[in-house]
Amino acid sequence: MSGSGGMRGSRRAGVPAAAVAITVLACLAVWALGADYALAQAAFVTTWAIAGLGVIVVVGQCGQVSLGQGALLGLGAYAQALLALRGVPAPLSLPVAVALGAAGGWLASLPARRLGGLYFAMSTLAFALIVEEALVRWESVTHGAAGFAVPPLALGGWVADTSLAQALVGGVALALAWLACRRWVASRLGRAWRAVREDEVAAAAAGIDVARAKTLAFVLGGGLSGLAGALYAHWIGFVSPEQFGLMLSFELLMLAFIGGAQHLAGALWGALVVVALPQGVSLAVERLPPGLAGAAGIETALFGAVLVIIVLLRPGGLAGSR
Amino acid sequence: MKLIRRILAPLALAVAGVAGAQVPGVGEREIVVGSIQDLSGPIALLGVPVRDGMQMRFDDANAAGGVHGRKLRLVVEDAGYDPKKGVLAARKLIQRDKVFAFLADLGTPVVMATMPLIVDAGRPHLFPFSPHESTYAPRHPLKFQMFAPYQDYMDAATRHMVQTHGYRKSCLLYQDDDYGLEVMKGVEAGLAKLKQPLAEKTSYKRGATDFSSQIARLRGAGCDFVVLATVVRETVAAVAEARRTGWNVDMLVTASGYSAQTHELGGKAVEGLYGVTVLPHPYEAGANGQLADWIRRYRERFGAAPNVWSVMGYGVADLFVKAAEKAGRDLTVERFTAALESLHTPRDFFGSPEYRFSRDDHLGNRYGRIAQIKDGRWVILTDYLK
Repeated sequence: MSGSGGMRGSRRAGVPAAAVAITVLACLAVWALGADYALAQAAFVTTWAIAGLGVIVVVGQCGQVSLGQGALLGLGAYAQALLALRGVPAPLSLPVAVALGAAGGWLASLPARRLGGLYFAMSTLAFALIVEEALVRWESVTHGAAGFAVPPLALGGWVADTSLAQALVGGVALALAWLACRRWVASRLGRAWRAVREDEVAAAAAGIDVARAKTLAFVLGGGLSGLAGALYAHWIGFVSPEQFGLMLSFELLMLAFIGGAQHLAGALWGALVVVALPQGVSLAVERLPPGLAGAAGIETALFGAVLVIIVLLRPGGLAGSR
Repeated sequence: MKLIRRILAPLALAVAGVAGAQVPGVGEREIVVGSIQDLSGPIALLGVPVRDGMQMRFDDANAAGGVHGRKLRLVVEDAGYDPKKGVLAARKLIQRDKVFAFLADLGTPVVMATMPLIVDAGRPHLFPFSPHESTYAPRHPLKFQMFAPYQDYMDAATRHMVQTHGYRKSCLLYQDDDYGLEVMKGVEAGLAKLKQPLAEKTSYKRGATDFSSQIARLRGAGCDFVVLATVVRETVAAVAEARRTGWNVDMLVTASGYSAQTHELGGKAVEGLYGVTVLPHPYEAGANGQLADWIRRYRERFGAAPNVWSVMGYGVADLFVKAAEKAGRDLTVERFTAALESLHTPRDFFGSPEYRFSRDDHLGNRYGRIAQIKDGRWVILTDYLK
């Protein structure tokens, strides 16, 4: 199977390449922008990479299109934020956030038993809308559309309120998530996912429980999204339903495809592109002549152009094979 | 070791001394001001004219010699309404560009995510475009606001309309998000003071284009006055639907629907619509001399006609310039905020309200006024309603 070969390849070449790229970029960022700003970037890149791993498990490994991943992040973020407000320590609240994300993933995967392809994708879209609506409507718990402020992450007596601490927590969480994903994709379950991705009928004929494989992909992917959402809530310090709308789901899908949806390293590459590239573009724009630099939307246009170039040159994503 | 210490100690002292004397963003020849805008996201239509308005005020100040000999430089970051980008933009402006203050940051999620970072870094957080109360209350030495929450304007506006027109059944059509709910609180508070209930209310989802069921419901309830917590496009659609079905009820839209686009898009259908406004739209026809000159210069500079958002951008930057002038040549954050706390600006050629800050009140203005669309343009009907 080509997928598993790609996986092994990515483990050998993709991860070190991504690590080198990140180190070089980090040094550049520190040099150009100062440590604090670069570390804040690193916190978001690692957090988004965790969310990206969630998408890669569902989309890249199991081959299911999920348009509702942003909502799973929202579940994790709200669980963490609400528990933090009530003074629940992070070692207790983080597992709850992960569990809620996983439960959301399980719920979102239920229609997969009956629906396939685009129809199932639409059902995940509907799931995302329902979650967003619930966050707005269930005002007594979620504070409604107005949102609320989230205290910094506290682990015991240690408070992660500097960008160094946030980048550290993000890095450790990403490393743990990464190790878990490596185990999953190398296991029997990972092989089942890739079989389902390549051909559901053939996979079923080979004795694979297709429904179980899909459900597990969504549960594990949802858990990763919940974790990313929980960290994100602390880094931003403010949650509101509109942050977890469809735009976020699409951003995460884009992250996975730009990075390379079939490779774990794709999550890191994708996160770098989605989070750090706009910042790089913004720095580059400052060098343009004032008339051009001031044009509204120029950064988005440049960012879009870079994305198109990436997709044209590396259709399989940055971590994919050439 | 001793040698190293001997070299390092004075060095550290020197660094500390320089850091103590140097106010971030205030150089010998310039003052750097930062702003986090939406130039590419869902409210870029607001972000671009706000930025241009601010830039124009700073250019005007610089052309007149700057503030106590220092030129003003505006550094704008585009966060596209994404709080993640907003946080990174705030850190960049604080550390790399070393801005003295943040001016008119745009969009509630961005403002709420970045405000703690900004005030923790000791930078003034001035006049954000977010109607959230936490931008000025509880009082914080570095937080200042000139736009009141919708609730305040709508309370007074609803009372004024009901009292002068004698409506019996006031109703509400609202967008079902924080904006709509904020307006609802204001309308209900205003009606409660007149001992009237809100007779009927109905909501819509952001971006809706069909209002037939909502209008039918309000009409069925026998409303004689409808408050619209809508934005431009929805305002036009809702009013047009009512008129199409032959229902000529009086309607009042919030400041979000007070825009030249409302009558440009709505045409005849929106004639007679009431609106709440804080600043008047800068119409070219009938403008006073100063305003006509301002409109001409704006058009030449940016290649587009100014709108009410351009005026707001110019206004926030104007307050900054006035406070910086008042603070004197030795500009520090403390002197600047002290100057702002005693600032009282008169009405100007735009027809802006007076802005008045004090030590205990960092919200510059709480009042709006009523306008109405007559012959295809907004006409101001009342003074600022207290």
